[in-house]
Amino acid sequence: MTKYQIGDRVTVKDATSLFHTRTQAFVRGHTGVVVEYRPEWVIPEDEAWDRLENGRTEPFYVVRFLQTDLWDPYTGFDVDTLETECSERWLAPAKDEA
Amino acid sequence: MSENHSHDPIQEGPEVGEFEVLEAAIRELSIEKGLFSSEDHRRFSEWAESIGPSKGSQLVAKAWLDPDFKRQLLEDATEASKAVGVDWLDPTGTGTPSDYTFFYVLENTPQVHNMIVCTLCSCYPRPVLGMSPDWYRTPNYRRRLVRRPREVLAEFGLHFPSDVEVRVHDSNQKSRFMVMPMRPEGTEGWTEDQLAAIVTRDTMIGVALPQADWTAEKAPSQVGGPQ
Repeated sequence: MTKYQIGDRVTVKDATSLFHTRTQAFVRGHTGVVVEYRPEWVIPEDEAWDRLENGRTEPFYVVRFLQTDLWDPYTGFDVDTLETECSERWLAPAKDEA
Repeated sequence: MSENHSHDPIQEGPEVGEFEVLEAAIRELSIEKGLFSSEDHRRFSEWAESIGPSKGSQLVAKAWLDPDFKRQLLEDATEASKAVGVDWLDPTGTGTPSDYTFFYVLENTPQVHNMIVCTLCSCYPRPVLGMSPDWYRTPNYRRRLVRRPREVLAEFGLHFPSDVEVRVHDSNQKSRFMVMPMRPEGTEGWTEDQLAAIVTRDTMIGVALPQADWTAEKAPSQVGGPQ
């Protein structure tokens, strides 16, 4: 059982990355929906140092964002979306939204 | 404003970049150590650079003709790729898969138009599409596709109405994507080979739509394009 399920709303943590990450800054702090799940793999923060044997492994999730939630102003239309993939440590349950 | 701008001659960039120097150093050391020969390296480069998008075109054409194959392609594209001779777990046939990768095919519908980008570098489904076009790897495309996808589409000549969702897929981790465009009108009764010919590289990146009168094999002047 993974921590997040397809359809869950998640917020990307607005964390710092000292060395290497694959979590793009433009999604940090933003909320989207889990649309796909990928099995566990070594997180990029460890893989970057070739720690394939003893690196930390985590599930990955594809998260879909509304473009209008990522960019202000967004120059396209309200229906447009963007999907990107995050390891579990970068995600938190979305706070209750009014 | 304008009196301050420079009229210096346009400069070319440095002839060799840092990574090219690094690659050359490692390659030459490997050859000296006998890990592979320079002929091995040349053959591999020649082979890798000659892979085109034909496998991807075949996948799309098969899916257009066979609903069962389409279902399999959308559910498990890694497995379905074997139908065109591509094994993602051993794509080079050399026993050196770069790492663990998932391959997904994104179906365009009247409601959703998919596009692919790698914002971090140049990730691209090379086993099925071959080498990426130069523009795909430019920072300009990578940053603007996520920020202003409709403008980028317009520059490629594509405009979608406000009720069509433009969905950008960033292959920033282990997933690789390819777009499955919609089958155009005017292709009824076509064979798989005929269909595959119109599924060009750009249609599988998502910056173009297949057209019954356009294949990448013919020069534009031969099919009524600009002379």
